[in-house]
Amino acid sequence: MLRMENVSKIYRTELVETHALRKVDLHIKSGEFVSVTGPSGSGKTTFLNLAGALETFEEGDYFLDGENVKGLSDDKLSEIRNEKIGFIFQSFNLLPDLPLFDNVDVPLRYRGMSAKERKERIEHALETVGLASRMKHLPTQLSGGQQQRVAIARAIAGSPKFLLADEPTGNLDSLMAQQVMELLEDINSKGTTIIMVTHDDQLARRAHRNIQIFDGQVSDIEKAVANDVIRSA
Amino acid sequence: MFNYNFQLAIKSLKDRPSLTFLTILTIAIGLGFYTTVKTMSYQGGQVPLAHKSKNIFLVQMDNREITADEVNHQSRLVDTTYKDTLNLMAMELPGVKQTFNWYTYGILNVEDKNINPVRTTAGVTSSAFFTMFEPPFLYGNGWDLTTEKSGEGVIVISKLMNDQLFGGKDSVGENIRIGTKVLKVVGVLDTWHLTRKFYDRGFRSASPDNFFIPHTFAMDNELPRLAGFDCWAADADIARSFRLENTQRLINSECAWVTFWAEIPDEQIENYQQQLISYIEEQKTFGRFPREILTYVTNLNDQFSYINGRNDFMNVFSIISSLFFAVCLLNAVGILLAKFMRRTKEVSLRRALGAKKKTIIAQHIIEVMIIGLLGGLLGIVVAHFGLQGMMNIQIYASDYTRRLEDMQPLFALDFTMITKAFATGIVCTLIASIYPIWRLCNTPPASQLKSQ
Amino acid sequence: MEIKPIFLSLKQNKFMAILMIIQIAFTMGVLSSSVLVATETLQEWGKPSGIPHEDIVRITPEFFDENIDVGQALVRDIERVKNMPNVINVAPSNAVPFTAENMINVYLSNEEDAQEYKTVVFQSDENIFDVLQLSLIEGKQFTASDIIKGAEGTTPENASQVMISQDMATALFADKSPLGQTIWLAKNADPVQVVGIYSNFMTGERLNGRGKSYQSIIRPQVKWSQSRQPNYLIRVEPGKGTAMMEDIINVFYQERGRYINSSELLKRTQKRMYDGRGSRALTMLVISVVLLIITGLGMTGLTAFQVTQKRKQIGTRRALGAKKRDVMRYFLTENSIITFIGLLIGILVTLSITFELSEQASQNFMNVSVLLLTGLVMWVVNILAVWFPAKRAANIEPAIVTRSA
Repeated sequence: MLRMENVSKIYRTELVETHALRKVDLHIKSGEFVSVTGPSGSGKTTFLNLAGALETFEEGDYFLDGENVKGLSDDKLSEIRNEKIGFIFQSFNLLPDLPLFDNVDVPLRYRGMSAKERKERIEHALETVGLASRMKHLPTQLSGGQQQRVAIARAIAGSPKFLLADEPTGNLDSLMAQQVMELLEDINSKGTTIIMVTHDDQLARRAHRNIQIFDGQVSDIEKAVANDVIRSA
Repeated sequence: MFNYNFQLAIKSLKDRPSLTFLTILTIAIGLGFYTTVKTMSYQGGQVPLAHKSKNIFLVQMDNREITADEVNHQSRLVDTTYKDTLNLMAMELPGVKQTFNWYTYGILNVEDKNINPVRTTAGVTSSAFFTMFEPPFLYGNGWDLTTEKSGEGVIVISKLMNDQLFGGKDSVGENIRIGTKVLKVVGVLDTWHLTRKFYDRGFRSASPDNFFIPHTFAMDNELPRLAGFDCWAADADIARSFRLENTQRLINSECAWVTFWAEIPDEQIENYQQQLISYIEEQKTFGRFPREILTYVTNLNDQFSYINGRNDFMNVFSIISSLFFAVCLLNAVGILLAKFMRRTKEVSLRRALGAKKKTIIAQHIIEVMIIGLLGGLLGIVVAHFGLQGMMNIQIYASDYTRRLEDMQPLFALDFTMITKAFATGIVCTLIASIYPIWRLCNTPPASQLKSQ
Repeated sequence: MEIKPIFLSLKQNKFMAILMIIQIAFTMGVLSSSVLVATETLQEWGKPSGIPHEDIVRITPEFFDENIDVGQALVRDIERVKNMPNVINVAPSNAVPFTAENMINVYLSNEEDAQEYKTVVFQSDENIFDVLQLSLIEGKQFTASDIIKGAEGTTPENASQVMISQDMATALFADKSPLGQTIWLAKNADPVQVVGIYSNFMTGERLNGRGKSYQSIIRPQVKWSQSRQPNYLIRVEPGKGTAMMEDIINVFYQERGRYINSSELLKRTQKRMYDGRGSRALTMLVISVVLLIITGLGMTGLTAFQVTQKRKQIGTRRALGAKKRDVMRYFLTENSIITFIGLLIGILVTLSITFELSEQASQNFMNVSVLLLTGLVMWVVNILAVWFPAKRAANIEPAIVTRSA
């Protein structure tokens, strides 16, 4: 599903070179729920940007759904983001001017779907997150938890291969965080791969597997067993 | 508090100098053009003889045939016949002065063979012209009634003619010739600034005539009469010939062609009009004035407001300059908004630290006032150059027949206009800033802080 | 296209949108009124003269001394001028190109209801063709023996042959050959025979204003009276005109008892012909262009501001799959919608201004194609104004979304 081989990312300014990621090798299988943890400045965000095809990199190869992302054009990267990845952000990043319906509509528009199909998908996605009745509302009229659910609806509306969640509960209180996590797990259980970046160990433990990033290097820890324990608890 | 706000305002002006400069420039250009046009219409619309313009009247009587078209405005009625001109001149009312004029032209020349002759237009008039219309004299004076009655050849010339023919010296008493007819200079006019050449009823923005001669001399010597002759059917066929010949027939005719003026003190106005009507009634007994009695006694103020209202070019220009200014102000609103909205974070922090809304408003009003002040100043500079430009365009368009010194007063930024421009600049900038300031000071305290 | 979401977004940013719309509407009002008035005034403007007007000097003398024999003076004048260095040729003429305003009607028959044709008659001698550099198109050109000279009132009174300009020939005879045809220079009177056709030259404003700039007739006669003397048209070596002007005037002043009323290069006569209306219309156009630039800059500024305000949103769109050109298109479409609404209101403003104008000047200024063209220009200018901020918006990194607020 997602395979990184020897991927490195270097930020250059006039004075310094920062190795944000060094020779990352990683393989995530279809249907997995993977959490990524690490202290601030460890390269989490860079990893997220590369995994989400938001940034390009110079070294190594990154296969996403069998396709090597390296060196693709900006347009092609946009298409990949649009079709294969669903994004969920810490600060929701909903478009404040647009009602929920139109927010969820955004990636579908770029996909060039027919109006009818878009409408069906949007309604379905909003139903999934339990906000179908409020689709004419503006994001500012919703609570944080609801906003994040809209963001999730927007992420899944296009049926992407995997979801990339960046601290999805970071701005939410624990009750809302719980709801959001349950929603993600539910989505995962229906087959969508999820990669979740978080600094919360407790949340991280709910994933099948946890990857730790430290100083730009990735250590892959098999967590399947531990996860099963938590789930059954 | 004011000091602190002032410092903050200065700091914020310096903060994004390019935006500040752009705002000032936009306001200056808009205000500059607006002031240019306003000054042109203000100066161009000024009524001459302001101190007595309400007492200077154009006198018109309807001596047309019964078949003539209905007239409903003074501007459409014909001039006065020669007969009536002489009769009215004989009418004496206390405090009332009367004069009349028409146009001629001639080739002015002097004995000196080294000085080339000049062809120019001229006013044919009576002695009261100079006391009623008060042209400024450089040397000498107008002629008196006795001279006028004697038919003697006397002439008042313009400064321009005096410069060209006499090298600018005091030429009073010198001989000058119109064609081959010799006249004596009795007066030399200084530059006579008229916004419009009103006395011939043409109201054109042209320079006044270059010489003036008594009507007696002009008629005796059959000088050309540049006038439109509105004649009865009997004379209509030969009307054109009256320009150069058939003087006696013209004198006896019912052709209207003389522009007649009266200076009437307030208390005599009613009486004067009454006298006109009695005159017409008397003339009716001789079979003249066949139509219903119609007279117009219109003062300069009314004539000017009519003419100014009909200045299409200036009117369009006024509309356009107002819209232009409005666009510039809208632009300023946009730039100010952009400038202020960058500051929401800072303002919400200040609000959180205890600054009152009032203080925030005060700080920004000071800032906007400074912008308006600078915009106003620069706008006046722009207007100055705008007026110079417009003046040169008009001099060019007149093919250099109008001189700088004639035109300058029409394009002068005087104290009134500068004050107005300045006030307009500041007030409009303040109005333009209402919305941006309102948006800014309504930033809730600390709203911008939570995501930090 | 994504028009609906743009509308929704505009609804949330009403003030900005209204600000832009009013700006565009007013600018459109000013621009199109100026352009409409200018097109109307500048019609028939700056047309080719058909003559080497930069090298022809025009002299108009006027005698005030009644004792002078004008006919004799005429001979002496021409003699003197011909002897001047750099003078190529000189012709007396009752009318001067660019200012020949003595428009008359001519007729093709002497019937009462004959159709009128507007024209100007130039009375001159055989040298006029060389002076004005007119070329013979058809028929014969006048020679010295064809010219009738004399004071007014002496016989023969008038020449019975004329030459006509190409445009005159087309107007009078269409495809027929004009040679040998008779025309009447006044109603029921003055029949003359057409013997030749010459190349077109500009007559003056009165015919020009009627779109008949080049309809003229040349009659081979030089007539004078005490109050009316011919003008002189003098062609000089190229480029020498300005320097020679003073010498030429002095030559004419050698004849005393007269005044040189007008002395100038025809270039200046031409300038004066177009001047008044030209400079007004051009002033308005210049002002409109300045306004257009200001509005353009305003649009750039406001859009740039919005781009800055919306960086995060744009990044989000990019992350959700918007290509660079989608972002560009978003801003250009948004601006086009605003421009379109602004233009519609602007057209209303224009209509009211031009209606007012047309009422006052009793002249119709409305011209739909000019109006639409102005709208198009405004739209293009707005697209250009928004292009750069939109380009900047398109270059916003999608990775911005993962940065914390």
